[in-house]
Amino acid sequence: MPVVLQGILTILIGVGGCIAYFYFSNLVLDKVIFPAKGENAGRNINRANQVRPWLFLFPAIFVLGLYLVYPVVGSLIRSFYGRDGQEFVGLTYYALLFSGGDFTRAFLNNLLWVLFVPAASTFIGLVAAQLTDKLSWGNLAKSLIFMPMAISFVGASLIWKFVYANDAEIGLINAIRASLGFENPIDVLQIPFWNNFFLMVILIWIQTGFAMVILSAALRGIPEETIEAAILDGANPWQLFFKIKVPQIMSTIVVVWTTITILVLKVFDIVYTMTGGNFGTEILPSYMMDYFVTSKGYASAIAIVIMITVLPVMIWNIRQARREMR
Amino acid sequence: MDNIAGTKSSLTWATHISVVFLVVIWLVPTIGLFVSSFRERDQISASGWWEAPFPVELTARGRTASTAEQEGDLFVVTGNIYDDEEAASYFPDGGSDVVAFGTRGVNPTEFEAGTTADLGDGETLTVNADGTYRWETPEDPGDRGQRVYFAAESPPEFTLANYRQVLTADNMDRAFINTLTVTVPATIIPILVAAFAAYALAWMDFPGRGLLIALVVGLLVVPLQLALVPMLDLHNRIGIGQSFMGIWFAHTAFGMPLAVYLLRNYMVGLPRDIIESAKVDGATDFQLFVKIILPLSLPALAAFSIFQFLWTWNDLLVAKVFLPSDDASKVMTVKIADDLLGSRGGDWGILATAAFVSIAVPLIVFFSMQRFLVRGLLAGSVK
Amino acid sequence: MKTTLISGAAVLALTTGMSVAQSLEFPIGEGEFNWDSYQSFADSHDLSGQSMDITGPWTGADDALFSNVIAYFEEATGASVNYSGSDSFEQDIVISTEANSAPNIAVFPQPGLIADLARRGEITPLGEETSSWIAENYAAGDSWVDLATFSGPDGEELFAFPYKIDVKSLVWYVPEQFEEAGYEIPESYEELKELTQQMADDGVTPWCIGLGSGAATGWPATDWVEDLMLRTASPETYDQWVSNEIPFDDPAVVNAIEEYGYFSKNDDFVNGGAAAVATIDFRDAPSGLFSFPPECYMLKQATFIPTFFPEGTELGTDADFFYFPASSEEDLGQPVLGAGTMFAITEDSEAAQAFIEFLQTPIAHELWMAQSGFLTPFTEANAAVFPTDAQRSLNEILTDATTFRFDASDLMPGEIGAGAFWTGMVDFQSGSDAESVAAAIQNRWDQLN
Repeated sequence: MPVVLQGILTILIGVGGCIAYFYFSNLVLDKVIFPAKGENAGRNINRANQVRPWLFLFPAIFVLGLYLVYPVVGSLIRSFYGRDGQEFVGLTYYALLFSGGDFTRAFLNNLLWVLFVPAASTFIGLVAAQLTDKLSWGNLAKSLIFMPMAISFVGASLIWKFVYANDAEIGLINAIRASLGFENPIDVLQIPFWNNFFLMVILIWIQTGFAMVILSAALRGIPEETIEAAILDGANPWQLFFKIKVPQIMSTIVVVWTTITILVLKVFDIVYTMTGGNFGTEILPSYMMDYFVTSKGYASAIAIVIMITVLPVMIWNIRQARREMR
Repeated sequence: MDNIAGTKSSLTWATHISVVFLVVIWLVPTIGLFVSSFRERDQISASGWWEAPFPVELTARGRTASTAEQEGDLFVVTGNIYDDEEAASYFPDGGSDVVAFGTRGVNPTEFEAGTTADLGDGETLTVNADGTYRWETPEDPGDRGQRVYFAAESPPEFTLANYRQVLTADNMDRAFINTLTVTVPATIIPILVAAFAAYALAWMDFPGRGLLIALVVGLLVVPLQLALVPMLDLHNRIGIGQSFMGIWFAHTAFGMPLAVYLLRNYMVGLPRDIIESAKVDGATDFQLFVKIILPLSLPALAAFSIFQFLWTWNDLLVAKVFLPSDDASKVMTVKIADDLLGSRGGDWGILATAAFVSIAVPLIVFFSMQRFLVRGLLAGSVK
Repeated sequence: MKTTLISGAAVLALTTGMSVAQSLEFPIGEGEFNWDSYQSFADSHDLSGQSMDITGPWTGADDALFSNVIAYFEEATGASVNYSGSDSFEQDIVISTEANSAPNIAVFPQPGLIADLARRGEITPLGEETSSWIAENYAAGDSWVDLATFSGPDGEELFAFPYKIDVKSLVWYVPEQFEEAGYEIPESYEELKELTQQMADDGVTPWCIGLGSGAATGWPATDWVEDLMLRTASPETYDQWVSNEIPFDDPAVVNAIEEYGYFSKNDDFVNGGAAAVATIDFRDAPSGLFSFPPECYMLKQATFIPTFFPEGTELGTDADFFYFPASSEEDLGQPVLGAGTMFAITEDSEAAQAFIEFLQTPIAHELWMAQSGFLTPFTEANAAVFPTDAQRSLNEILTDATTFRFDASDLMPGEIGAGAFWTGMVDFQSGSDAESVAAAIQNRWDQLN
């Protein structure tokens, strides 16, 4: 298997290359450029120590810059150019975006996803975390709810096709409907507007475990005294949960919420495999892929819109990180 | 006191029940897939996977023999419907009891087994539960027997045929190896690169450190869609094009922000005195990193590698864009989404099997390494 | 060839050791095949050790049929050929030509896409010789040459080789079920509508329609609309529609879409109800014909569809077809809609050139004819190798046609014919009205330039 060999070779070169880079660059720095001996020994050590962090950082900064920073600029520029990337079209594509019905639909659907999926995942995750924490078999339950995390979006879509299928012998939903006496099977993926929610359920199914695991750890981190004090004050379990525990872990809830929000804006697989964007279920990432081939400029413009949508989350994240560092 | 204990235990029961409920909802879809992957096409379309352990009623058709014996005015044909090649082909494991039969495709179960059906014009047909039949007709049937439709129970059947089909004929084996080829380098390479950077950001002092950390946090959020058009163009320009080389680079880069972020958060939490004392003993940063920081950070490294492994294994978008679209380099997600889902659209058993093959490895990794994953997640997001 | 060492090595690594020798479907030298043409091709081509890639839209069963043909090319030349099919072929081929990872030969289901790539110089022209070969050896050869000629960097040239033609104006049915229920084969479009109504009145479902096709979902409905266009409007109107001389929302087009809706949007007329139509995969739709009780009695689909009939189905006895009849009220002749796949060289090599030459031998056509779902205008291919009379008589539909038109969606610009038209039909199927769907498609067409 030559590809496998190539893979192994890449691992060796990649890992070996990294180690060699770090080792030799440090060696060169210490022995050749700023040798820690001779008359300037002291000054050289200081200089070497000023340069060293950048040696450590360089590979990471390089790939980050190339694959994540440059594309922001690259996509922006691309979005001003026509189909073949030659002719300058200015803001034409942006004007086109906001004149077409398809984009508006994709944008609004995406808004639904961004609002609903994180909210539902976080909420169910929180409830599951609270419920399982007390149980003897809680860890098993957690691991089962957490499991979909390991499943690909494509795999998950297939799994849910067995639930949604428009056939009472295959689709669970229609089987239940049939047993309740409804005659004709329905295709839930074609119900206008609500079909979006059936697609979102798949992502919620995947993400709830993530929310649960983190929130459960946060719940455990609440000081015992706080809870005991509340119980002594006569708080019932509901009050204890919503009035005492939830506010205590609010910052974690926000982290979970934003993490899932970011993920939602990347997911195109589910819509691609389930409906292909038909029946009014298009979202921005899948809308972009429709144009990826035919019009790179237009696709880039859509990517920029996705970027702008996540900008608030990004700014919030950065501010949060800076506050923590102080 | 009794009263309180009572509500408490009822609450516990409610908790148990709701968790069971939740777990069942979460598990059922996957079980459906798993069960379906072992069922035959006919059985899947005849009964739901939740009925898999029960016999399935299949509708089949056959033709009676045409060699008639004359009894008075009537020509009588007798025999067993399972002797007919076509009828038998529906039941490869031998026929079972006939439940009902008919002579018209529109209503294949018009008559109960064992009853005599009046076909008009003096013709009658009886089909018994064991498949034997008696067809009486006033006219010589010539060389064409009577068409018979019938329903019979087919015993529940579990088979590995789907797996054999998927792994040998449908090129899933190739796709499996391709997925592995993409995943392993794309998981291992970013770890090292990120670990060094994380160390610098956590334990080295230099101007601009805060800014860089902020940058990494910001890049966590950048949608990778942005990178598709410009990076594919760039790959094309520098000659990598669509290739495994390209996708390794891409995955390395896309995983980098999370890797640096996770590892830095973990390394910052390492005890300061160990590091200080090592420095006092004259260890260089490089030695310090290799001998002390790396071993201590193993849990975080493991957590990230699980993450990155799952992410690259499960990815569809990056593979669609950065890998060629021929069978030689299709990964499993692309194979399922762009080939099987269409060409095998109605073959639910094959689809289920393909999906299960593709999620088996991540599930094994997940269940065996769950502890590390949780610990890493917490290091990254809970302060 | 600007590929660097790295990707060169990668490609090499990917392709070597890939092909597994395939067993030959038909023993060489037996049957009514033109084995002479095979022998002389084998004698004049030795490509031992070379390998080539072909990508195309055929997956699953079709993939297997084509692979059987390829096996003979490999046997004859010693080259190894890797074919890969994808449901998103139309997207993949564009990306891979840009990435310099194009296959040697790409099999295009749509001429519109070839035009785009030819203009950008991504396709190697096939030359005068091939062009005149087609003109001489294909029935109505000149029109095939026209269809495959596009303007490239060096002017108008032949860029593709048509191979495997589909006739689309067909309705498939199970004779035994028609017989049992006493239905007659309709002679005119009006009778077809009456039959449809009669079946529904009898309490059975007349039609199986499935639009699902992965990234190409919706295309089967475009075939319906095109066929109905030819039965409700003049061929000239059809041509104007294709070239956008009349807008997409012209009353004639809207009318054709609504005619399609007459069949597909009536819950009593289609298996599973109108809503199911949009999601049933077209490859899955035929299964309804063969279940008991039948889930439907008729299926309108092109010549390739028997490939997706249940295993062992015998054409002519277990399943048969009739011509999608022309209107008796309007004098529009006997229109026939067709389409075809075209082979184009996207990465020139000796093996690729040889493969195009291989397609010019009768044996290359006969090998697929002898399997299933294949028609060819190549007059020298021996019709005796068709496994059934039914397939032979399909050719007659082609020859009896008074009006032959190529699939409109294949001729329209890619973004319309392989995009907006498809999704528009899905929208129509799931509830939108014909007029707004047509207007939206025209709107997309306007934005093209």
